[in-house]
Amino acid sequence: MTFEVEVGGRTFTVAVERTDRAGRFRVALDGVPRLIDVSRTGDFGLSLLVMGTVPLPGSEQGTVPLSLRSADVQIVPGGGRGELFVGLQGRTIDVTVNGRRSAHAEGPLHGHGQVTIVAPMPGRVVRVLVAAGDPVDVRQPVVVVEAMKMENELRAPRAGHVREIAVAPGTSVEAGRVLAVIE
Amino acid sequence: MKVLIANRGEIAVRIIRACREMGHSTVAVYSDCDRDARHVRDADTAVHIGANDAKSSYLNIDAIVAAAAIAKADAVHPGYGFLAENAAFARACAGAGLTFIGPSADAIDLMGSKTAARTAAVAAGVPVVPGTDAPLAAAASDDELRRAASAVGFPLMVKAVAGGGGKGMRVVESPAGLLTAVQTARSEAGSAFGDTAVYLERRLTKPRHIEIQLLGDHHGTIVPFVERECSIQRRHQKVVEESPSIAVPPALRERMAAAATAVAKSVGYTNAGTIEFLLDEDGSFHFLEMNTRLQVEHPVTEMVTDIDLVQWQIRIARGERLDIDPVRALTPNGHAIECRIYAEDPDQGFMPSPGLIRGLRAAAGPGVRDDGGVVAGYTVPVFYDSMIAKLIAWAPSRPEALGRMARALAEYQVLGIRTTIPFFLWLLDQPDYLDGRYDTTYLDRVLAERRGESFSSFSSDDTEAIAIAAAVDTFLKASAGKADGGPAATRSGWVQVARREALRG
Repeated sequence: MTFEVEVGGRTFTVAVERTDRAGRFRVALDGVPRLIDVSRTGDFGLSLLVMGTVPLPGSEQGTVPLSLRSADVQIVPGGGRGELFVGLQGRTIDVTVNGRRSAHAEGPLHGHGQVTIVAPMPGRVVRVLVAAGDPVDVRQPVVVVEAMKMENELRAPRAGHVREIAVAPGTSVEAGRVLAVIE
Repeated sequence: MKVLIANRGEIAVRIIRACREMGHSTVAVYSDCDRDARHVRDADTAVHIGANDAKSSYLNIDAIVAAAAIAKADAVHPGYGFLAENAAFARACAGAGLTFIGPSADAIDLMGSKTAARTAAVAAGVPVVPGTDAPLAAAASDDELRRAASAVGFPLMVKAVAGGGGKGMRVVESPAGLLTAVQTARSEAGSAFGDTAVYLERRLTKPRHIEIQLLGDHHGTIVPFVERECSIQRRHQKVVEESPSIAVPPALRERMAAAATAVAKSVGYTNAGTIEFLLDEDGSFHFLEMNTRLQVEHPVTEMVTDIDLVQWQIRIARGERLDIDPVRALTPNGHAIECRIYAEDPDQGFMPSPGLIRGLRAAAGPGVRDDGGVVAGYTVPVFYDSMIAKLIAWAPSRPEALGRMARALAEYQVLGIRTTIPFFLWLLDQPDYLDGRYDTTYLDRVLAERRGESFSSFSSDDTEAIAIAAAVDTFLKASAGKADGGPAATRSGWVQVARREALRG
């Protein structure tokens, strides 16, 4: 099976195929083949041993397989289909498998059309900083939502004009509620 | 003795640990959403005190005092935050015959008012940051505000009289921003502390935040501890603390400790408290405020002195004499660093990231202490502070402690929600931080310069490993899905044969 995997703005073509040996996979990353030993570690973990070969000691031609790299990876499903949230050694990154590039990845700085600002978590609207019709700059704070005892400024993902403000100060909002529309 | 812990999260867990080590039994309290919380599971018993809104539960004095009576507790530890610096709560505990593990209600009242505390410091001969001597009148006209501000000088800070934790605090660079800042600080202070009073204080340009922990018993003894360095702050909230400070030589430590002791003595302070100072570039220091409670960052002090502050709080409350060697308390053994792990997404402007923790593996190993407050399967609620754990690393020297912290952060796995761990790994790569060249303005400045760039940067080897893992994970799930085609399909060879026959037909 072949997958298009997007990691941090880079897209890889990854072909995965089982071998005769359980847990061993032949994986070609952008055409470069590797032998990978895979073990599931709990519901969200994968331990990868990237296998290579090293010369057999005392032999001119012989080689032995050896793990060249151990990667302990955590993979949690993200919000959408093919979206994964991956952790490695304390750092984390969003990964998309066979996904269409999201609007976000296409560079919201120069986009056209409408974008919405939604509440990323439940909370209460404390302030609305712009009015319908106002021009906004990219990353300009638009609405302030209080959650977890913090005031969180929600910013315009790109420059444009405020088409609509959908909430007023004091409104309690659920995650995903549209707060404002920028065009 | 039976101790009720009037708190939640990691500090409740920390206090339960201290009680258990001393042989005291523990009572947890919880709101609706905290039924599954770790502190409830760790305590000997637990009492439900109300709805999720903190006002109905963790800030509900009547409910907590009633819980103590129901559970037959003898003493109450307030932790930090919530009711820890609420004199009415300390009085309500005393009124119900409960030992309050903290300072006297009068000391909380006095030092809880930032302006009264400044007056006390001046009286004790300790320099303060220049500012208004009294709170600004609620009815002060715009002109009166402007006059008060120009007497203090710009840049200045508007601060809540009842403040703490960076709330109700605003920086004002020039006269133009004054009136809005006063207004927003008042509104924030009103919702955070139920008190809209604010005052003005000059803003030092590049200060370090240095604080002195102290303990005081009921027999007149005050013991000051090695300083904590808390200059790494985001929006006035501490995120990393260290002890000792790279900027405090022993002679300065002695002077700051003496000043802190003078302030505490002058108000007859008992139990654990902390005097916060701003240390200016020229080596002068100014009293900032006193925190009349155990602080979040107390573990770094414990790690470099090997003295358990929470256990001492309990002993002091029981009337025991402080018999700590003052030299040991003021002499750092090695270096400790604490990172506050928040349920926030650093790549989205530190937006809160509440939700279900699907997996959790805390760091461990030599010199590492995890003061965690959550467990896998627990849903981090939206109602309270977003701190889920404190990770503390100790080593003989600062460079070694930094290396150990980076190692421990890389081990720490929290699955399901976003945390600030990637941010700390980034910080521990910054030359200015590593060299100790920072002040309280450092973090906000470097964060602004990054303009939202991701904190997680991976080597190309790591990126490839991630791409491979994601593909293999998807592959395995897809094949598992096929195998699940029928419930008996993988179990019964006979059924498989039958199906093959059917397909052939």
